Amino acid sequence: MYNFSDLSKAVIAGQESKVKELTQAAINGGAEPLAIINEGLIAGMNVVGARFKSGEMFVPEVLVAARSMGAGVAMVKPLLLGQEVPSSGKVLIGTVKGDLHDIGKNLVALMLESGGFDVVNLGIDLAPDKFVAAVKEYQPQVIGLSALLTTTMLVMKDVIELLKEEGLRDRVKVIIGGAPISYDFSSEIGADGFAPDAATAVDLCRKLLA
Amino acid sequence: MPKSQYVRASFETCATPQFRVLSQDQCESIFLGALEVLQHTGAEVNSPEALEIYRKGGCRVDGTRVRFPSHLVEWAVRTAPSRITMYDRNGNRSMYLEGQNVYYGPGSANTFTLDPFTGERRRPLKQDTARAAIVSDALSNMDYVEDNGAPMDVTPTLADVHAFQAMVTNTTKPIIHWGFGINQYQDIVDMASACVGGLSELQKRPFLILYSESSPPLRHSSEAIDKALFAAKKDLPCIYTPCIFSGGVAPATMAGSLVVAVADALIGIVAGQLVREGSSFIMGGPISTMDMSSSSLAYGAPELSLLSAGLSNVARYMGIPMFSTAGCSDSKVIDTQLAIEAAFSILVAGLSGANLIHDCNLMDKGVTGSLELTVLDDEIIGMVKRILRGIEVNDDTLAVDVIDHVSPGGHFLGEEHTIERFRDEFWWPTLISRVRYDEWKLYGSKTLGQRVKEKTQEIINEHRAEPLSQKILDQIQAVVDRAEAREASLKSKK
Amino acid sequence: MPTKSNYVANSSTMFRVLSPSQCDEILLAAEEVLERTGVMVYDEEAREIMKKAGCWVDGARVRIASSIVERSLRSAPQRVTLCNSRTGSRDVQLEGYNAYFGTGSDTPFFIDPYTQERKRGTKQLVSWACKCIDALPNLDFVMSLGIVQDVPLLISDRHQFEAEVLNTGKPIVITAHDIKGYADIIEMCEIIAGGEEELRRNPFMTLYAEPISPLQHAEEAATKLVLAAKKGLPVVYTPCVMAGGTVPASMAGVITNGLAESLSGLVINQTAREGAPFIMGGVFTIMDMTTTIFSYGSPEFDLLMAALADMAHYLKLPMFGTAGCSDSCIMDEQAGVEAALSITMTALSGPNLNHDVGYVEYGSTSSLDLLVTCNDIIGMARRLVRGIQVNDDTLALDVIDKVGPGGNFLKEDHTGKYFRAETLNSELNDRQSYDLWKESGSKTMEKRANEKTRSIIEDYQPEQLPKDVQQKIHAIVERAENKLRS
Repeated sequence: MYNFSDLSKAVIAGQESKVKELTQAAINGGAEPLAIINEGLIAGMNVVGARFKSGEMFVPEVLVAARSMGAGVAMVKPLLLGQEVPSSGKVLIGTVKGDLHDIGKNLVALMLESGGFDVVNLGIDLAPDKFVAAVKEYQPQVIGLSALLTTTMLVMKDVIELLKEEGLRDRVKVIIGGAPISYDFSSEIGADGFAPDAATAVDLCRKLLA
Repeated sequence: MPKSQYVRASFETCATPQFRVLSQDQCESIFLGALEVLQHTGAEVNSPEALEIYRKGGCRVDGTRVRFPSHLVEWAVRTAPSRITMYDRNGNRSMYLEGQNVYYGPGSANTFTLDPFTGERRRPLKQDTARAAIVSDALSNMDYVEDNGAPMDVTPTLADVHAFQAMVTNTTKPIIHWGFGINQYQDIVDMASACVGGLSELQKRPFLILYSESSPPLRHSSEAIDKALFAAKKDLPCIYTPCIFSGGVAPATMAGSLVVAVADALIGIVAGQLVREGSSFIMGGPISTMDMSSSSLAYGAPELSLLSAGLSNVARYMGIPMFSTAGCSDSKVIDTQLAIEAAFSILVAGLSGANLIHDCNLMDKGVTGSLELTVLDDEIIGMVKRILRGIEVNDDTLAVDVIDHVSPGGHFLGEEHTIERFRDEFWWPTLISRVRYDEWKLYGSKTLGQRVKEKTQEIINEHRAEPLSQKILDQIQAVVDRAEAREASLKSKK
Repeated sequence: MPTKSNYVANSSTMFRVLSPSQCDEILLAAEEVLERTGVMVYDEEAREIMKKAGCWVDGARVRIASSIVERSLRSAPQRVTLCNSRTGSRDVQLEGYNAYFGTGSDTPFFIDPYTQERKRGTKQLVSWACKCIDALPNLDFVMSLGIVQDVPLLISDRHQFEAEVLNTGKPIVITAHDIKGYADIIEMCEIIAGGEEELRRNPFMTLYAEPISPLQHAEEAATKLVLAAKKGLPVVYTPCVMAGGTVPASMAGVITNGLAESLSGLVINQTAREGAPFIMGGVFTIMDMTTTIFSYGSPEFDLLMAALADMAHYLKLPMFGTAGCSDSCIMDEQAGVEAALSITMTALSGPNLNHDVGYVEYGSTSSLDLLVTCNDIIGMARRLVRGIQVNDDTLALDVIDKVGPGGNFLKEDHTGKYFRAETLNSELNDRQSYDLWKESGSKTMEKRANEKTRSIIEDYQPEQLPKDVQQKIHAIVERAENKLRS
């Protein structure tokens, strides 16, 4: 059995170069590639998630930890030989048309990634057909829509309608978020869920995919 | 990486926010006005001992009216030290009362208390003073302790002595305390001396400041002035203040009120310096407008903050440490008014650079003390201290390179520059809530007042200060017993 | 009376966060950002204008030479005056250290003053908000507070303006979804002012736009800046930046980045038309690193806004500030603390047009009860800033001598002469004795504020616009609705 506790600690501390060094050492030492990811890298990130929730760690530290984990995963990936990188699920995320605000959406992406999700960040100012095309291309389990303005939040409904038209609505869960969004609005437009903040978005995705 | 080896010339930095009410010239006007009042009008002093000291010192004494030559008053201001170092009960330096160093704490002498468990407004008990010490001991922004009301479940003439016992056994922080008279002052000094191993140790490392209040305008009873003489003789720091309300015991103008406040403080300082040149005095005290509807001092009015800040400017001009007032309110309950008045006054007092800021527990115009208010104030002080730290401007904090690296549309969350700084640059709330609406609702939709109440109860139930040894506790109890015996015999004589 | 010489008096309180040297250094850093890093401008017309003025355009990225920034700073007027739409009186003079207070705009939610429930903004709630502002003496201008959402959302800005202008004569900071919304609303404004020229000469309104941090000007924002310049109408341009999120975590870095956003907006505006009235704004604060909210109540926000006021005075630009708001979800002790700190810091530092009074829940919800309460806090802060007058009469040495030791000043003429002027008469702050307070119902400030809100809603009548003007305005709202339908 290989001991991954130092690797996990390096992830928690967000020390990217140390994570790389220890990942390389584990590879050289003959550790099982999947074990490096699960017992070393992801195990560390799970601690980060728990500490963030309890208020012991903060957003920038979570980001750095996630980044260091990602660096480790990238090194192990070529050795998996056809095995999938373990993932909690695939999520597409973007800001709807007319809206360039994206710090909130980026936070959700960051938290989902650190929660073990595979995230495709589509960017900003996206028309409904862009979302639909991306759903076809990436085959995600969840799609997340973000808006800051009351005028642009109406586009969320258009996205859902277009997904229905294209016959894709049953294949993907739709979650929405942003300052003007509420639970009422979410059920009104037929979304599958609303997350008031980034941490809740992770819980929501887990719940929807359970 | 520095841009080059350049050196910046003629660069003036605001190391902290800069706030003042009065210009240097205006401070001088107030001070000169007080000198004129002392020389021309003089004061009424009802202590034979003080009258004799003033006469010998060169004052013109006419019956009980004392007039003070300006040169004598100016001498006293010069000889009184401009800095006082305070210690905690363990002999560690804890407050440097000098320059524009700011320390906060609660107040005393309220006649009611708001019970933090029942919400009932009732008379203070000895247990409430113990709780006050425990709460201040636990809060990092409370730098010293006062009694939160004279206990009414003990011998009435020894409420001060019992209060001190309750405080000194429940906190290691410095204590500011009042007393009915010289006998009680002696008891208190004996108890404090017992804690540190004798009077000379207490003088070397004082953790006790004696408090005495005169009756403005310009009237000094023997109870008031004799305590200033006592403190000077014992070589212990003394706060000597009037309690000024504009339009009542002082002119309705702010400038006139400051003149009376300064003059009345100087009467104590002169006495102290004549007893012992260089003895430590602190000036200031509650100063506000009189609420015309209730004829009492308004503790939540903006005039309290304005006058206190103005007086702090004058005290700094004179080089005397300043005792200011903030964190208090006229509200009768824990509500938004209480919060507004506490926040307003804590901010202004902090900006003014007053050294000791007291009354972070008084509500209902100083009638009622509340430990919940102390806990609320602790959080507000945290916020204000962040403001007082100001903004640092240099190549590193300007972060031009980081901005370029992130580039338009990016974010700074993962930048090393952010990771290294966000913990120190940001103030971290403990009671102020920043959770989102849905989470706030999920956890019971609590107001700040409710969270404050929970924390107050938790501190009272959980926190205990570092204990004194049994030997010292016994010595303190012996002083209390001695005082009880003395009062009993005085009573029987009557 | 003696004659004095060489005497310096503070006629008000004196306050600053940054020294002139520090302001200079931050300005130079912001200029360096614009010259080296540049900004994104997502509007072609704006880019064209900037290119003509000598900016370096590379795709959507525009880099701006310091000389152009400085030219724009010189050409923008250092004062903007806004009038009352009913009387034409030039009440709000945005210049120097004059601090005026008003509401913010466009929160999705409102706390209903009758049920205390959080609900979506309606035309009625916005009307009530404007009535309150019109009635409150310490509030000087209005923004909508909430978004009107019980009308077709895409043209809700027209309804919002109608609700505002019908219920107050105080100056309005107008928000609109886009340039078409502004076209309709400016048309309404011109009808009220009596013509295009009249509106420009004596505006009762300013337009409003925001960049997106960091360093991006969206199409809507850039076109609004150009429109304002072409129309010769004032525009507020206000970056909302969050330390550690969209800008650096260090406070000086926050101001540098935010200022670069403002100054590039200024360049768009001034290169479109030199001398156009421009009001530099900002909501500079932190991202709370636990909850990720954009904090409206943190001490860093208070400090940053005061520092930005120093910058605005240094640059001689009118400033749009932020105060009287809270992260608390309701009006409670926390809202009181945060509103008191921000209002006091703002009054001390003297930015000109200070908005967001009455925001709770980090800018997501509006509370009329908090708005009414802030009227009293602003009164307190204004009393503080008036400071202490020192002269022979106020020093009162003769009065002190006459009253003598142990006397009292209540009956003195001097007291009668000064007491009212020196002492603030607060309406909502209770200073009664405990027993009288109990007899009058043991009311908390929350209760008293709510009673006042309701009485304004029910009893206060703002001065009405002439009937024909009202009809013309409504016709434009209807026209927009019809267009949307077809």
